[in-house]
Amino acid sequence: MTKPLILIVDDEPQIQRFLGHALAASGYDTCFAATGQGALEAVAAQKPDAMILDLGLPDLNGKAVIETLRAKSNLPIIVLSAHDQEMEKIMALDLGANDFVAKPFGIGELLARLRACLRKAPQPEDILRQGPLVIDLPGHTVTRDGAPVHLTPTEFDLLVMLARNPGRVLSHRQILLQIWGPAHGEDVPYLRVFIGQLRQKIESNPSAPDLIRTEPGIGYRWMAD
Amino acid sequence: MDSKGQAAKTSAILTPAPWMPRHEGWAALPRLPQVLGAMLFLAVAALGTHLTQDSFPEPSGLFLFFVAVLLAAVRFGFWIGIATAIAAFALFNFLFVAPLYTLAIAKPGDLLVLAEFLCVAGLTGFLAGRLREEANAAKSRAAVLEVLSAFATDLAEADEPLAVEQALVIHATALAHGPALVLHDGNPDATDLQAPDLQAAERAFRRHTPQDAAEPGQQGGRYTFLPLMQQGQVVLVLGYHRLDAQRPDRFARAAAIEVICHQANLALERLRFAQAAEEARTAATREQLRAALLTSLSHDLRTPLATILGAITSLRQLGASLPPEARDDLALAIEEEAQRLANYVDNLLHMTRLQAGLALHLVWVDPADVIAAAVARAHRAFPLAEITADLPDLPMIRAESALLEQSLFNLIDNAVKFSTPPARIQITARAQAQTLTLTVTDQGPGIAPEALAQIFTPFFRANPSFPGTGLGLTICHGIAAALGGNLTAESPVAEGHGTAMHISLPLPKAAA
Repeated sequence: MTKPLILIVDDEPQIQRFLGHALAASGYDTCFAATGQGALEAVAAQKPDAMILDLGLPDLNGKAVIETLRAKSNLPIIVLSAHDQEMEKIMALDLGANDFVAKPFGIGELLARLRACLRKAPQPEDILRQGPLVIDLPGHTVTRDGAPVHLTPTEFDLLVMLARNPGRVLSHRQILLQIWGPAHGEDVPYLRVFIGQLRQKIESNPSAPDLIRTEPGIGYRWMAD
Repeated sequence: MDSKGQAAKTSAILTPAPWMPRHEGWAALPRLPQVLGAMLFLAVAALGTHLTQDSFPEPSGLFLFFVAVLLAAVRFGFWIGIATAIAAFALFNFLFVAPLYTLAIAKPGDLLVLAEFLCVAGLTGFLAGRLREEANAAKSRAAVLEVLSAFATDLAEADEPLAVEQALVIHATALAHGPALVLHDGNPDATDLQAPDLQAAERAFRRHTPQDAAEPGQQGGRYTFLPLMQQGQVVLVLGYHRLDAQRPDRFARAAAIEVICHQANLALERLRFAQAAEEARTAATREQLRAALLTSLSHDLRTPLATILGAITSLRQLGASLPPEARDDLALAIEEEAQRLANYVDNLLHMTRLQAGLALHLVWVDPADVIAAAVARAHRAFPLAEITADLPDLPMIRAESALLEQSLFNLIDNAVKFSTPPARIQITARAQAQTLTLTVTDQGPGIAPEALAQIFTPFFRANPSFPGTGLGLTICHGIAAALGGNLTAESPVAEGHGTAMHISLPLPKAAA
């Protein structure tokens, strides 16, 4: 079995250095690019399985790289960004980045994101399970520890959308567009209310949720085991 | 109100009016010197006639009197012309026409002479007066235009509100032929204005309307006050001495004063806008500098931190699956980045300290020790670079060794960064007269001439593709200045390559 090839795009040699060692030790092959242009060329030449992309590149803006790539490929992209670059993160996600990791980060977090991105798109299953929670898609029913959970149709759609993307961040906009439609892309407070209701019904401790995690300012993440 | 406070806000500039000839119209009433002048003309004519009457016929005497009438009318105006004509006729009749020494008119034709005299005198006096009047008006117009043009020049040169106000006062004085002053406050009681004028000035401030001293209801005020308005606020009030009511050009002058007020107002507004623009520019520069500092902070603190955290978590979580070389390399990366972070934090702290203007703790320092410390630190940071210090015996200096070491280290750091490996850095020192010069020389590509002037500017980076903050040299420069010395750059030093950075420090007299 060939190892997945990860393209690391960062202009800092020290970051490239430790990511190279860490990914190699985690069973990945790595290749590197230090510029946006170099990243696009490496994608074309080496056909990596995923890309780790620093948003602050010296030549092309990281977002421009995502935009160019998304026009022709579904290559999983994880962006690296600073904590205070919230807008950058949101824009990168809306442009089609699969996930983000804020610098500085522990290697475990990056590897978890990478695994989630590389996970083969789940076969359309009829039953989704997460801990005590069982979601029966054809039957439109949800049970928790065997007890039925009563959800409104919108809550059910929201739950299914989150659960189908385990470990991946979904931006507010992505969720709003898919569940409520194009007219509601900015209704973040609305979404927050629904997430609150959903947590009340499915979380064991709604005030300390462990199924739906909030990514402040960005969106929500379904926590896979 | 406190009159001292008022005095500070009120600037009054008084200048005497230049002397100007009184205006003379064609119908101006005669004055004594003119009467005497006319009499002199007649006396000369009579004498001339008397002296020549034996050799010339009678009409030539008449002609001399005729000339005297003409001259008097031209010179002294209509009324004196008429009077001279009558006197000339009477005198001629009395002295030279038979019966002599009587005023009796023997021939009716002589009355015709009188009529001629009167006509010539009246017409000439009238025309000459009119001519003089027009000449005066033209002179006055020219004077006004001259003032306006001089004022425009002054305004163009004025670079602060006070200069505008001074020009306004000077030129209003010239136009009004009397003192002028500028008031800034609604209660200008610090000036030497009389009560009616103070009240008029106060009205001008309060009502935002001109107060003309010539208008009824001004209770004998001597000054006219014009408020200059900007955005519904009185900026200042110009007061000028009431124009002489006898002057026919007083309206033109009042209008001219209004014009210069308007121009002064525009100039003041222009200065205000210029000042606002300047402030905005300064603020933008400051903002830019702050943004650059933030970007630098965020990038240069985060990158080493990201490497350190990432490498440590890799070591801890993947330790077993990492080959030994990879483990060593990660550990080395951690060390290097921690070093880099420490250096950056040092630089930031030094810069903050220098900017805050904190006092230095100067002690006796052996420059050789400081150089050795900086070189040792550089050896640790750049094991591959070849750094040599070639030092003579050096006198002690007064300095703060940590600052000086940081400064030297930054220079070495820079030199290594911009050199093609393996970097060769040479440090030399020279004590001469009152100055100690420490020089860090590299064999790198040198600094482009256009960049050389800017290398001490915060966040300036001659080559942004090299890692760095653009702060290193700024801090070196600041440190050298704080120690009473200077930092200069010299590039190229040899055949189009190499850079030498010189730190010059003052040698204390006791040690020199």
